[in-house]
Amino acid sequence: MFEARLLRSSILKKVLEAIKDLLTQATFDCDDNGIQLQAMDNSHVSLVSLTLRADGFDKYRCDRNISMGMNLGSMSKILKCAGDKDTVTIKAQDNADTVTFVFESPNQEKVSDYEMKLMNLDLEHLGIPETEYSCTIRLPSGEFARICRDLSQFGESMVISCTKEGVKFSATGDIGSANIKLAQTASIDKEEEAVVIEMEEPVTLTFACQYLNYFTKATSLSPQVQLSMSADVPLVVEYRIPDIGHIRYYLAPKIEEEES
Amino acid sequence: MGILGLSKLIADIAPHAIKEMEIKNYFGRKIAIDAYMSLYQFLIAVRSEGSQLVSVDGETTSHLMGTFYRTIRLVENGIKPVYVFDGKPPDMKSHQLNKRAERREEAEKELQKATEAGDQESIEKFNRRLVKVTKVHNDEARQLLKLMGIPVVEAPCEAEAQCAAMVKAGKVFASATEDMDALTFGTNVLLRHLTFSEARKMPVQEFHLDDVLKGLELNQREFIDLCILLGCDYCGSIKGIGPKRAIELIRQHRSLEEILKNIDTNKYPPPENWDYERARELFLEPEITDPKDIELKWTDPDEEGLVKYLCGDKQFNEERVRNGAKKLMKARTGTTQGRLDGFFTISTTPNPKRKAEEDKKNAAKKKKASVGGGRGRKPK
Repeated sequence: MFEARLLRSSILKKVLEAIKDLLTQATFDCDDNGIQLQAMDNSHVSLVSLTLRADGFDKYRCDRNISMGMNLGSMSKILKCAGDKDTVTIKAQDNADTVTFVFESPNQEKVSDYEMKLMNLDLEHLGIPETEYSCTIRLPSGEFARICRDLSQFGESMVISCTKEGVKFSATGDIGSANIKLAQTASIDKEEEAVVIEMEEPVTLTFACQYLNYFTKATSLSPQVQLSMSADVPLVVEYRIPDIGHIRYYLAPKIEEEES
Repeated sequence: MGILGLSKLIADIAPHAIKEMEIKNYFGRKIAIDAYMSLYQFLIAVRSEGSQLVSVDGETTSHLMGTFYRTIRLVENGIKPVYVFDGKPPDMKSHQLNKRAERREEAEKELQKATEAGDQESIEKFNRRLVKVTKVHNDEARQLLKLMGIPVVEAPCEAEAQCAAMVKAGKVFASATEDMDALTFGTNVLLRHLTFSEARKMPVQEFHLDDVLKGLELNQREFIDLCILLGCDYCGSIKGIGPKRAIELIRQHRSLEEILKNIDTNKYPPPENWDYERARELFLEPEITDPKDIELKWTDPDEEGLVKYLCGDKQFNEERVRNGAKKLMKARTGTTQGRLDGFFTISTTPNPKRKAEEDKKNAAKKKKASVGGGRGRKPK
């Protein structure tokens, strides 16, 4: 028997919004510690890694480890039926081929349940090596979303370059070029609005704007976002979801055409 | 052509070996394309009002139209195509080629009849059957590709075999052809429908040889024997043995020699002088150019050359040709998107639950078969 209850359905709704553009289907692995999801998009350019810890739920019970393959489009449709303030409970029997979502209104007057068929997906195990990153940049998530949106008007790809002066985002295209520089915040009054840069070595990498724009769908989950970069390895974009877990996106960099 | 009924057999027994992909997922990949197959497709499919496109002198240009625009589409999607042309056909294929010639003759007769009767539909049908890729078509396509900056490989013999060798050597990612015998020749990855028209919205089918062999529970040598038994281009097959029987026999006896010893040859007579050994040899060690000696080089397109070649007599629209050349040029500059595969280790295991269900299903099927007489009714 698996049962997980969240007081606010809005978190789950936002999580789904943050992944459903990248993935059409995915496996939710549930065990004692919580719910995990790891999957690459079809073209193997980006990876989504989601963790929701058991202690973040209002009630969490998982007798046996289960993996539930879900169609994210269908799941999103179901979650749209929930009010933001509704409580949501996810339930499944051991070895079941369906999962049930129960929504309860705050005053307990309306209870609705939705049953969804599970999918038999192949299990993909991803080994992500532990990496020490040369640069980590923390900035307000809204600011990052804005930068990605603005720069994607100029070109398909964006260069992120981190030096000791600060971090620079730039794009070039048919209409011209754009550069946005952010310097480290001098005095931190509000942690949520700060730009913090930790750098051991300067790094410059190029990424596809399209994917970054998919990632920033997670903006409403967290006031801050953290970017980690090292030369020639995937970028990590991390949103910490307060009190319950995090969502991490990995993105393969664009590489200079080898001269053949 | 190719292997009779192989794709259906794989779809039935090893469905996991086939993946449906979008063309844009192949960005950055080098892909060897069977030139004969794609030219044939273009001659059949690139038409306006049922007849082929022609130059001022009435020479066909459908193959050039197809090669030009569909190659551009591949390049725009970030794919690096290589076209592989057939050399001389192997001796063993002469029988098959004779058969094809006979069929053409027949079609020609039918066409005459239809023309006399004025049956428009039949005229079109038999016209299509008469389509043949000639040396002229090949040469023209080769010249066009050179102007486009796309590399061309001349196979000494069968193009599928050359493609397969290039995949095995890691020179390219996959072979693209409709012929299933690319798998028999041992290509690790086979793509079908890659050069189909965009308008048909046909997903690209990706076959993985590893998964095919795993699904069929055979090794490569046994797989070749299975293909010969199904019916290949190089020798006949046993009458009365369909795909189902063929896979059962191979799984039971593991080689054609053993099968011949064990089946009732009166009931299932093998063809006279059945030279399956040479056919097998041909699949195992085909005549190919060593992939190490092949250098693949993509170069800038020659815009003026393309305009000179395609416009004028061949009646291509100059503006569209120039646009095409610009697209080719644009795709050469800039950066390529990387993949995560190189950074993370990925292992895929089929869902254990599904596997259990399938085993149950198979067991049920077998049981039914042994009881017999269960035709036409599904369990449940």
